[in-house]
Amino acid sequence: MKKVAIVGAGQSRYGDFPDKGIKELFFEAYKDMNASVDKGLDPKVIESAYIGNLGSGGFQLGNMSALVTEYCGLTHINTMRIENACASGGYALVAAVMDVMSGTHKAVLAGGVEKMTDVSGIKQKYWLGVSGDTEYERLAGTTFSGLYALIAQRHMYEFGTKREHLSMVAVKNHKNGAQNPKAQFQREITLEQAIKGPIVASPLNLFDCCSTTDGASAVLVCDAEMAKQFTDTPVYVTGFGTASDFLAIHDRANTTTLEGTRRAGAMAYKMSGLTPKDIQLAEVHDCFTIAELLAYEDLGFCEKGNAGPFIEEGHTQIGGDKPVNASGGLKSKGHPIGSTGTGMAYEMFNQLRGTVQKPTRQVKGAEIGLIHNVGGSGGTVAVTVMRR
Amino acid sequence: MAIGISGYSAYIPRFRIKKEDYAKAWGLFSAAGVAEKSVMGFDEDVLTAAAKVTKRALESVPTAPEKVTRFAFASTSPPYVEKLLSGTVLYSVGIPNTAFCSDHTTSTRAGTEAMIVGFEHVMSNPSGRAVVAAADAPIASMWDSIEHALGAGAAAFVLSGDNLIAELEGHASYASEYFGERFRPREAPYLHDLNVKKFAEGSLLTNTTRAGSALLKKLNRKPEEYQHVVIQQPDARVPATVAARLNFTDAQLASSLVSKSLGDLGAASVPVALASALDTAKVGDKIMVISYGSGAGSDAMSFKVVSDRKTQVRVQTEMDRKEYIDYVKYLKLKGAIV
Amino acid sequence: MAHVSVPMYWRTIPQRYKMIGQKCKKCGAVNFPPKGVCKYCQTSSEFEEVQLSGRGKVHTFVLISAGGAPPEFAEQEKAGGQYPVAIVQLEEGPKMIGQIADVDPKEVKIDMPVKAELRKIYTEEEVIRYGFKFVPG
Repeated sequence: MKKVAIVGAGQSRYGDFPDKGIKELFFEAYKDMNASVDKGLDPKVIESAYIGNLGSGGFQLGNMSALVTEYCGLTHINTMRIENACASGGYALVAAVMDVMSGTHKAVLAGGVEKMTDVSGIKQKYWLGVSGDTEYERLAGTTFSGLYALIAQRHMYEFGTKREHLSMVAVKNHKNGAQNPKAQFQREITLEQAIKGPIVASPLNLFDCCSTTDGASAVLVCDAEMAKQFTDTPVYVTGFGTASDFLAIHDRANTTTLEGTRRAGAMAYKMSGLTPKDIQLAEVHDCFTIAELLAYEDLGFCEKGNAGPFIEEGHTQIGGDKPVNASGGLKSKGHPIGSTGTGMAYEMFNQLRGTVQKPTRQVKGAEIGLIHNVGGSGGTVAVTVMRR
Repeated sequence: MAIGISGYSAYIPRFRIKKEDYAKAWGLFSAAGVAEKSVMGFDEDVLTAAAKVTKRALESVPTAPEKVTRFAFASTSPPYVEKLLSGTVLYSVGIPNTAFCSDHTTSTRAGTEAMIVGFEHVMSNPSGRAVVAAADAPIASMWDSIEHALGAGAAAFVLSGDNLIAELEGHASYASEYFGERFRPREAPYLHDLNVKKFAEGSLLTNTTRAGSALLKKLNRKPEEYQHVVIQQPDARVPATVAARLNFTDAQLASSLVSKSLGDLGAASVPVALASALDTAKVGDKIMVISYGSGAGSDAMSFKVVSDRKTQVRVQTEMDRKEYIDYVKYLKLKGAIV
Repeated sequence: MAHVSVPMYWRTIPQRYKMIGQKCKKCGAVNFPPKGVCKYCQTSSEFEEVQLSGRGKVHTFVLISAGGAPPEFAEQEKAGGQYPVAIVQLEEGPKMIGQIADVDPKEVKIDMPVKAELRKIYTEEEVIRYGFKFVPG
């Protein structure tokens, strides 16, 4: 099997852009990716493209990958839309990696795009919250905030996790996001603000929840043998893992573990020949603050049940021994659903090459990083490990 | 062959609004003798209430739902004007699909109407089991004074030829032609009442006293032979007026006068009041029941209590389980703010 | 879009109205709602129908406020304020999600005993969708 490298990565600004649709957003990320290729990129080498997307509010549900790629001038290629809810981007990356590994294509684009803010409030709610178990979870009166709140409540009960621990995730990620010029919310918040946010789905408040975001991202994946023709500092994909789970939380044996994360992580570590200890920084799926705490545990960064103290002790701050979500995470950088996974890859590509836009956010000297992308409440999970 | 009631139960939704809250909003409260009334929750309607009381009534015997051969549902405020209503209850409770069912929905007499068809069924099918569920939460415009009395509640009875709590001694009815009092025209979401008071009272007194006296005569009974009299309760004063006309006393009304704290329960008024009387009745007690429905008609039934077996959930317990709401919440729950 | 059609809803009324589950003929565990293959032993697809008691205790819960309510439930939240949704550990083994009705949200606790009863869930296309909710007891 072929070894795989990432040689370019781009991201649009994340935020609320009434003047841009999915084509324009994706083109912005694509141009940014092309510009990042140190030795230049002839777009003709791109043979294949996987695009993560949840449907952008119902616009162009069919054939959207052909639409956004032809807009960028990529025609007559292998392309497909990848949909695994919020993990669509992460799976698009894995699909691109497998494509290259298999030797089918040599240079493959993995990207994602979502346009979320065009949709009216009521349509948005009908569109979102469809990635859990619609029949029972949604019709019990929950959207994703409610589902993650169910997990949070049980985590608090079983392990003594505190309200403050959840808020510490929000505070940390906003602090990091404030240093990210492409983030949706570039401002810090205080712990007190985070604790006292208006309740959305108790125990989760507004500051425990990520927002809705417009944005796109794209990374160029290629056969490691040709990587040096693009750059002298490629980032190598050492392993990946994906795993599904029961869609409905009530069907799972354990409410406080995302089994999909545990298994996808284990697979990625095994393929990479690494352990959680070797991971020097990570971008994890913090759609809700509790989700980041679960990721610490389920990816093996700390013991099960110990995520509260783990964040409190500062391990996951930039400057700690295991910085997490230096980009600001979904919480502060934004969560344009289909783009989130490849957006994480964009951040990791730059972190491992020492090229993040603001040095204050740069994790110094990091060689090995992990990205973790969750679909819904854990129905699908994709993990990828990279090293420079 | 003796037939009668072998099981029963009532259900009262937990919300209550006090007359003072009405007075605060409207300057007056026009339901005579009613101190507070019951209100259904946002996620309840007469079918969910009927499902609940049907289950409870069957458990009170106990009778397995699979044994039921006849189901009758009564309400003046069904969620659909056209569509079989009984099916929702029958299916959720586990009554066989082959049980004959009927919906009775056009007047507040519907509760006793359903009981009488139930009795007719067990009379002609001695091994049969009929369940009658009456549930109501009538709706009128908030601008209309008849709205003030409208409450919510439900009761169900298991009728059979064995294992009786109260034996049916006989029944009589009276129907006639009246109009303009408590009616709902086609397409109208709310009750109307032309408020011709003496005319309406005439209808009520004529129909109820004729049904009542016909039954007394048929059974060769005197009013004083009854320990309990249960009369339709559009408010808490009407029953006393009817009772007086038939020479019943306030003392005989006492065990069933639920409207003081629940309001007008519509088609469930007499059923809930009867459940209340059964809760306190002793073996040998006799119960006279007289319903009224505008339009107009009245059913009278006479029962003799033959067992002191009671249902597990007493009406008083249901009345005591309550949570007060203010008038704004009442408007929201009633769907009056659109 | 999160549209649950009338036939789709109707297909689940054995579960929603009566809590009909499946007992695995191989491992004996009870699945609710039904699966194609038993979620416990993951081998058998032979089941017998069982009616669950509807009794259980709260495993975990959430109180949904306006921002967390799907549009189907927005009116309910506006009329009655925040509403509790729980995952209930049912007597027969499976866990199940559902709202808790007839309760002060502040009184909901993990391990609190509940039982299922028929309620209005929501209305779509003018059709009332009934199903179970849990109530204390």
